Amino acid sequence: MKNYCSSVSRLLAKYFDQEVTEEERSLVESHLQSCPGCRDALHSMERVRILIKKPVEEAVETEDFPWVWEKIERGIQLEERPTLWESLRSWLDLSHLLKRRVVIPVVAAVVILILVTTPLLFKKTTSYPSPSVVEYVESPTYNVMVYESENSKMTVIWLFEGPEQEQSTS
Amino acid sequence: MRRFVLLSTCLIILFTLFLQMAFAQVQTRVRMIQASNVGSNIDPSLKDVTDQLGSLFNFSSYRLLKDQTVTLSPNQPVSIPVHPGRSLELTMTKQHQHTVEVRVRIKREGTDILDTQVRLSPGRTVAIGGPKHGEGVVIIALSAR
Repeated sequence: MKNYCSSVSRLLAKYFDQEVTEEERSLVESHLQSCPGCRDALHSMERVRILIKKPVEEAVETEDFPWVWEKIERGIQLEERPTLWESLRSWLDLSHLLKRRVVIPVVAAVVILILVTTPLLFKKTTSYPSPSVVEYVESPTYNVMVYESENSKMTVIWLFEGPEQEQSTS
Repeated sequence: MRRFVLLSTCLIILFTLFLQMAFAQVQTRVRMIQASNVGSNIDPSLKDVTDQLGSLFNFSSYRLLKDQTVTLSPNQPVSIPVHPGRSLELTMTKQHQHTVEVRVRIKREGTDILDTQVRLSPGRTVAIGGPKHGEGVVIIALSAR
């Protein structure tokens, strides 16, 4: 390598990788015809390439790429989104909330809420002190009698037909 | 924590709605009876009514024409046909601890012939009667269940 022409040796690697321009290629090729040192250097590069290429190609042939792809697919499937039921279960999973410092205030809040809301829900207006069952009664066509007794379990609203009604019904 | 609060709120709302639905409704029994002096048949299912009415009226026959239980919701009128051309409309207007206030309207051809408001309580019957029906009169017995 000591005999290399310094001006061409910089281009030799690029020439070997076919990255030179037309002008550079002409320069290198004309130099290679007259320079055995550079030719040896180029041959050395080719030998090195052959030495590297062969085991790589063998490795590629022996490697089972479909198996690798299956492995990737399995990995993707494992990372797929959970089903609706699984999502719901995880959403409803309150186990992490069952810690004492969370449970006590939450239970206290719920109890207070129930104590506050339940009487409101069941609150009904108080019964009238009056035992009267009939609050009002109106009839434009009938005479009305109301019979109401505290002891009796029945209240009667009786409609009497007037003379006009008697005529119309008969 | 947010999830728990959301769940609790949903449960409380559902519980509240359920209670409101369950406790705001009242079952009311409506019996339509024909009372007359033709014959002496007394329908056995009307014993509770005839025991009470017997002291007030001298009808010898009581016949059950219709027995229906309706569910009343607050301010939701329920209409029941009771006679050709007549209908009974019941509306629960108020709910007390042991009683419910029900507005009763009897209509003939769309016009009110009776408009009243009564308080129904368990074990007590309100009888509305008088209009002629066949050879007797019709009595409508209302009771809360």
